[in-house]
Amino acid sequence: MAYYLGLVQLIGIHTLLGLSAYILMLTGQLSLGQAGFFAIGAYSAGILTVIFQLPILPALFIGALIAAFFAFLVGFPALRVKGLMLVVATIAFSEFVRLFFFNLSWRVPRGDIVVGPDSTNGFREIRYFVANGWSAWEITAFVWVFVVLVMALLWWSDRSRTGSVLRAVGEDELAAQSVGVNLTAVKVAAMTAGGFIAGIGGGLYAHTATYVDHLTFTVLLATFAIAYPILGGLSSVFGTLVAVIFIQGVLVEGLRFLGDWRNIVFGLMIIAAMNLKPSGLFDAPTARILKRAIGLDERGKTGA
Amino acid sequence: MIDFVQNTVDGIMFGSSYALLAVGFTIIFGVMRRLNLAFGATIMLGAYVGTWLHVNYQVNVLIIALAILASTVLTGVYVERLCFRAIRRDAALASMVSSFVIWMQLEEVAIHLLPERTYPFPSLFVVDAIEVGAFLFRAEHVTMLVLAVAMVGALHLLLHRTRFGLALRAMSENPRAASYMGIDTGRVMLCSFALVSLVGGVAGYTILATDEQITPFFGLWTTFKGLIAMMLGGMGSLPGAILGGLMLGVVEAHSQWYLGNEYKDLSAYILLFAILVLRPGGLMGRRILSREELAYRRV
Repeated sequence: MAYYLGLVQLIGIHTLLGLSAYILMLTGQLSLGQAGFFAIGAYSAGILTVIFQLPILPALFIGALIAAFFAFLVGFPALRVKGLMLVVATIAFSEFVRLFFFNLSWRVPRGDIVVGPDSTNGFREIRYFVANGWSAWEITAFVWVFVVLVMALLWWSDRSRTGSVLRAVGEDELAAQSVGVNLTAVKVAAMTAGGFIAGIGGGLYAHTATYVDHLTFTVLLATFAIAYPILGGLSSVFGTLVAVIFIQGVLVEGLRFLGDWRNIVFGLMIIAAMNLKPSGLFDAPTARILKRAIGLDERGKTGA
Repeated sequence: MIDFVQNTVDGIMFGSSYALLAVGFTIIFGVMRRLNLAFGATIMLGAYVGTWLHVNYQVNVLIIALAILASTVLTGVYVERLCFRAIRRDAALASMVSSFVIWMQLEEVAIHLLPERTYPFPSLFVVDAIEVGAFLFRAEHVTMLVLAVAMVGALHLLLHRTRFGLALRAMSENPRAASYMGIDTGRVMLCSFALVSLVGGVAGYTILATDEQITPFFGLWTTFKGLIAMMLGGMGSLPGAILGGLMLGVVEAHSQWYLGNEYKDLSAYILLFAILVLRPGGLMGRRILSREELAYRRV
């Protein structure tokens, strides 16, 4: 049972990671820097609960703020480059962050053991949940509270002016600018919001895993972050959730019986999905069919 | 002073292999307007096939080199078929994600071939160094430079003196116009993938012959070095890729000497970020389209 709860927690955390890339992709920016923000959130929140002994909530919040601050800083220079250039520039940022934590050593004696990040050996003993006697169910619920909150916020903003502005920038920058949208403000805001969400995800990850090291935050994680919204489609936040469940739940766990050959089949299945549905599994036509099936789409009825 | 010159020359020599990697990325980007993230993994799988032959059959160096070239070209064609041909032209992102999952797949195959962490790779020469005055050059570094210069020369001839080269350049200028002119774009894409895989195979071989060992991180390493070198020079620009590769080599050599090993990679990223802030299109790249130009195009 604990194993499945762990999987549910992982799906929640990866959903946050995917959503942080999703909000950026709405504005037409593709960033492989999400792993970097995730890493900053994870290490900051971990350091705050372990070395400064803060409770979990302020630690997560401050960690996410630090990640958002760096996203804000990266946002400005990154705005000058576009498309695939931005992809590679943000890969460089992620790697930079990873190398920083690879070299970071900040050891503090706590009781009879020494805690804190220990460069190559990673950051062990992030035992806030264990020390405070949280059960696996409580941890899972805690993670999903954040997931539901972020999803609700994004879903709601998509139905407000904010969503329209973000999508307008993503569709056509020039047209958006000529109707008075401040491109710089929108893009940097999206980058910062993405950094904040990734930071929360990172903080949650560090505390559920109790151990992080620099190898957790490679380009593999960054690619997963953008693969979720691409695979899920940009029509709704639920696309990202569906893609995370598909990849982490179905592909990674479901193919475990294949042992070492898993990655090969895994690769082929994603390529098949991309070939069949280049704009995402949960794209607009699929969403409409689903809505009609459960009787939410009024347009279909009036037309008939 | 001697140190400085020695480091610069070493950097240029090692940088020549970065330049070859960057050329591989930049040609594909020029022709397809897509990023092939599986390029490093392609080279890695080829190198693993060569190492596998070396470990199990102790064949001679020439056969290993040929095996590496043949298997990188085959892998390159496989990547093109699965990630680039099959996916619609406007879905560049889908191609990028697919090429990334292919990376995982190729790495898995390579690790199945040779599951240990490190394997020895045969070096080219027994002679260790060539002395010129106060300077000392490793024979492998000199070979690397010579091979890279030869490859770039051959590429230049191929691109500017043959019909295939003309077709490739036409396609990177404007794919639609090229297909109207009767160029078989699918064939050009396939051939350019085979071509860059060959270039990548040569680069991979010389790098491994210098390092004398291979690890599962080789794919990641080549991808990063190639991407950074390409970005420094400007995407889609061939002279830019060469300049970017040499520059990366020189900066890495100096920072390793003066600051220490752990700063080697960090300095490369700082250099890249600085260049992107100062000249967003890269050193020799076409300038990123300004808004006015974009507006003009639309009218």
